[in-house]
Amino acid sequence: MIIRILLLTGLVGIGWFVFLRRNRLPFHIMTVFGLLAAGVVAVMAPETTDDVARFVGVGRGADLVTYLAIIVVFFVLVHYYSKFVELQRKLTELAREIAIMRAESKPPPKHEP
Amino acid sequence: MEARGSTWVVIAAYKEGKVIRDVVREVVHEGWSVVVVDDGSPDDTAAAATVPGAHVVRHPINLGQGAALQTGIEFAIRQGAEALVTFDADGQHDAACIPALVAALDGADIALGSRFLGKEIEGASSRRIALLKTATMVSNGLSGMRLTDAHCGFRAFRAAAASKLTITQDRMAHASELLRKLKTSKLRVVEVPVTVRYTEHSMSKGQGGLQAVRILFDYFFRA
Repeated sequence: MIIRILLLTGLVGIGWFVFLRRNRLPFHIMTVFGLLAAGVVAVMAPETTDDVARFVGVGRGADLVTYLAIIVVFFVLVHYYSKFVELQRKLTELAREIAIMRAESKPPPKHEP
Repeated sequence: MEARGSTWVVIAAYKEGKVIRDVVREVVHEGWSVVVVDDGSPDDTAAAATVPGAHVVRHPINLGQGAALQTGIEFAIRQGAEALVTFDADGQHDAACIPALVAALDGADIALGSRFLGKEIEGASSRRIALLKTATMVSNGLSGMRLTDAHCGFRAFRAAAASKLTITQDRMAHASELLRKLKTSKLRVVEVPVTVRYTEHSMSKGQGGLQAVRILFDYFFRA
């Protein structure tokens, strides 16, 4: 089936990308590979997601996957938004220090004798 | 607290090349120490602000009014400021009102200028006044303060109070941020009537109703 090829290509692509950037984050990498492996199982044997779905109380495996995906996307959004705000704060401090370091002033006007 | 050399007037400016020179001259002439923060303007604001007796610091990138005020405050404190006054760059504020604000620091840590305490507002439309009053109601509600004017940029601080009230809202939500921090700080606050001159130029740089949405977003979701 074409959809399987597309989905597997996507998962392998993500895996390859993560593999190339594997430096000193073993926990992170293992988590990502674990999720990718679960993705491969879900693509090759969709019935398994149905079993898991029924076990947790969701009707269909596809629905369960959708719900989980939405939660993950929101988590990632919040995570990167807080990073963004933090980065902005650091940028402000840096710009402020540069501004103060480069301060310029003209001496005040001399009083008339 | 009327030592004009150790009282620093902080002027945050963005694209004010046309008017900043006269504004800075007027304040320097009155004998106050002055620091102008050019918030990364693309025009000649920094050059125009460089008049004898004034200090100019320049953000390498544009950060927003809150960030510019905080930069000016930090610079002034490092220069040994005992009191600080924030002053608009667009010519809205009247340097003649500075002594009253500074004098109010004798019995308070912070003196907030108010456009609605008696004196007339020059050149403001009734729509603008309605907007300002609504904004004050919202800010009072959010902060639990009871002020007649929550967003007047004309204020005076004792240096020790300014150090406690670090501005982290880089853009426009800094006014609401200040009120929130005032409420929890136990600092003594007074309101002082100030005159504000609205001109066509200053109106073009003012905040409209739509920006209010962005300010509220910043207030709740940033920093």
